[in-house]
Amino acid sequence: MKLEIGNFHVKDIVFGDETSYRQGILTINKKEALDFVLEDEHITEAELLIVKPGDRVRLVPVKEAIECRVKVNGSTLFPGVTGDVMPAGDGRTHALKDCSLLVVGKHWGGFQDGLIDMSGEGAKYTYYSQLKNIVLVGDTDEEFEKNEQQKKNHALRWAGHKLAEYIGSCVKDLDPEDIETFELDPVTKRSEDLKKLPSMVFVMQPQSQMEEMGYNDLVYGWDMNHMVPTFMHPNEVLDGAVISGSFMPVSSKWSTYEFQNNPTIKELYAAHGKTINFLGVIMSNLNVALEQKNRAALFVAQMAKSLGADGAIVAEEGYGNPDADFIACIVALEDAGVKTVGITNECTGRDGESQPLVALDVKADAIVSCGNVSELIELLPMETVIGELESLGRDGLSGGWANDEILGPSVKPDGSIIMENNAMFCGDQVCGWSPKTMKEF
Amino acid sequence: MKKAILYINQFFGQIGGEEKADFEPEIREGLVGPAMELNKQLNGAEVTHTIICGDNFMGSNEKEAVGRIMKFLEGKDFDIFFAGPAFQAGRYGNACGVICKAVKEKFDVPVISSMHIENPGVEMFRKDVYIFKGGNNAGRMRQDIGAMAAFGNKLLNGEELLWADAEGYYGRGKRHQVWLESKEPASKRVVDMLVKKLNGEPFVTELPIPKKDTVAVAPAIKDLGKANIAVVTTGGIVPLANPDRIQSASATRWGRYDYSKMDRLDAGDFKTIHAGFDPAAANADPNVIVPLDALRAYEKEGKIGKLHEYFYSTVGTGTTQGEAARMAREIVEYLRDAKVDGVIMTST
Repeated sequence: MKLEIGNFHVKDIVFGDETSYRQGILTINKKEALDFVLEDEHITEAELLIVKPGDRVRLVPVKEAIECRVKVNGSTLFPGVTGDVMPAGDGRTHALKDCSLLVVGKHWGGFQDGLIDMSGEGAKYTYYSQLKNIVLVGDTDEEFEKNEQQKKNHALRWAGHKLAEYIGSCVKDLDPEDIETFELDPVTKRSEDLKKLPSMVFVMQPQSQMEEMGYNDLVYGWDMNHMVPTFMHPNEVLDGAVISGSFMPVSSKWSTYEFQNNPTIKELYAAHGKTINFLGVIMSNLNVALEQKNRAALFVAQMAKSLGADGAIVAEEGYGNPDADFIACIVALEDAGVKTVGITNECTGRDGESQPLVALDVKADAIVSCGNVSELIELLPMETVIGELESLGRDGLSGGWANDEILGPSVKPDGSIIMENNAMFCGDQVCGWSPKTMKEF
Repeated sequence: MKKAILYINQFFGQIGGEEKADFEPEIREGLVGPAMELNKQLNGAEVTHTIICGDNFMGSNEKEAVGRIMKFLEGKDFDIFFAGPAFQAGRYGNACGVICKAVKEKFDVPVISSMHIENPGVEMFRKDVYIFKGGNNAGRMRQDIGAMAAFGNKLLNGEELLWADAEGYYGRGKRHQVWLESKEPASKRVVDMLVKKLNGEPFVTELPIPKKDTVAVAPAIKDLGKANIAVVTTGGIVPLANPDRIQSASATRWGRYDYSKMDRLDAGDFKTIHAGFDPAAANADPNVIVPLDALRAYEKEGKIGKLHEYFYSTVGTGTTQGEAARMAREIVEYLRDAKVDGVIMTST
């Protein structure tokens, strides 16, 4: 499988007459783009905005981030989501780099939504503060979940995925500025030089703990709650086979943008042939019942062993209950003789004194830690709020609260806020960008 | 100028040694003993008072001692509180911990001490007090005071405080997120760690998992009347001359002593060399720690089959878990060879 991602490095985004890309300038015809979004009758209001690093802007409730791309062969960008189920990970995909499409609720947020500041102290918490962003702000007719803490955010998320492809289409027939190539030979057809290197698998545990459909991450459009671990090519992950869900406290989230650009997969590709032989991805999931957790761990360990993996990296999209899946998987791999390193975030409480993971095991002796979900953050007011600031406290965002006896409300009358890191949009960057670690004080 | 107060014991307060360990608490204006060095090294504050208290007085009358010292401090204007350094002195370490914790709770000022890693005060108070990693004897005074003062200066000047290892104090069990100066992303860290693990090279986890050394309860002995029973103690009972030179604290050595021809341990032949408790009762009657007299009676009654010929002894105070486990493994060899069925462990 050979994936070529042709990159177009966006230096500026402007609104104009024709949706197009010329010499680093991405122009969007706002009206046409919004008309495209409003083709979905469930979208009742939509607006398109542009934000850049340094802007005095706060976005909340942010629901999803996507990279604008197009498949040159005409396949759908997110198989099983934006179109038919068809293969991903092979051929040429064109991507608008250094920018993302952010999907923001015009009014209503929920447990799984988050906050992004484009400047000031808050900008150090999220990756998207460093990107130029096209912002789709909208509302929907999904009345059934308007006042629910858990929202599927279906209409807005799907609008985002479709719009990302719509905008990405403007570079379909252009020559990319550079091309990244991702290619792995079949596992049993590798060179002798490669076979001499220690081999490894990347075990991903995307969020899939909601028993009701519509909230979990999807693989080729399939709810990951309904699968047992399977072997995948990393190119499938990079090329739209997996989309993010709408369930987890958001600092632990892997957005769709983060699947498309997964930095750990890219790092493994860079090390492939030098220090390791990267066999591929074991796509696992996260479960609720202990039996399900153990079953998934058993599948992962067996597959790694059968593939002949000497090592594994296990990554978890979530914290708390899924720590049990994470640790069970590491233990199962270690017991199978596979040397394993984990990557996750911690929940040590505002005082830092709580047990870092719900489950612990001495066999998990190598873990990279990306942050503390419960760290308290205080931020000054911003000139502009995109979305609705009140949602942080009112709608049960995982890091916000309506009132607190000691700290008061999350949202202060002057627009300043106090919140937990939990509500920073993809704040712990467990996908691999995290510049943070954890230390004992 | 901000103000600091230092707590020291009777020895460093120049009152006297062990014979003055009952010295009752006093507060003195100005600088006594180590306070001079502290005052020199603090640049954000001056030391206004020195509190002196005997280690035994604090150990035996904690409530009274703390109460009196709190009274001394009421109405005093101070921004930071120091105690020690206590080096490896266990009672002094305890006193520094007790007083720092009380001062923090009552006056809500930063409290700083310094102790050697084997000082029991470290484990008892590291969660409550900034305890710096100190030396094991007073030769390290200047250096240990220096570390306490440097951190005090940072606190008083509102400078950014780094984590425990970077600052040099024992971790207080509070884990917080920090931004790496190197900005090295987690993806690179995780792949590097895996490559090291695969190649058998040393690596440092970012989430150390505390090792739980739980020992499963052994199945009950079916017929005690036929069992061979041994005694192992961490109470430091040894022949008078301490022939194995077992240390009185932080022990790394142990001994086995034949008592097969005796019906009780006589005070003239055995004593305790344990430094962690009042030895009077054990020295008067060593059977209170190694109950040979009672076990001989059980043997006669047929309650136990027999008493193993030797008892095994070491000292538990300040002894690390690692050393204790090693000594146990060595002792177990002898017990297995002698086909011992059960062991009575006595501690003090």
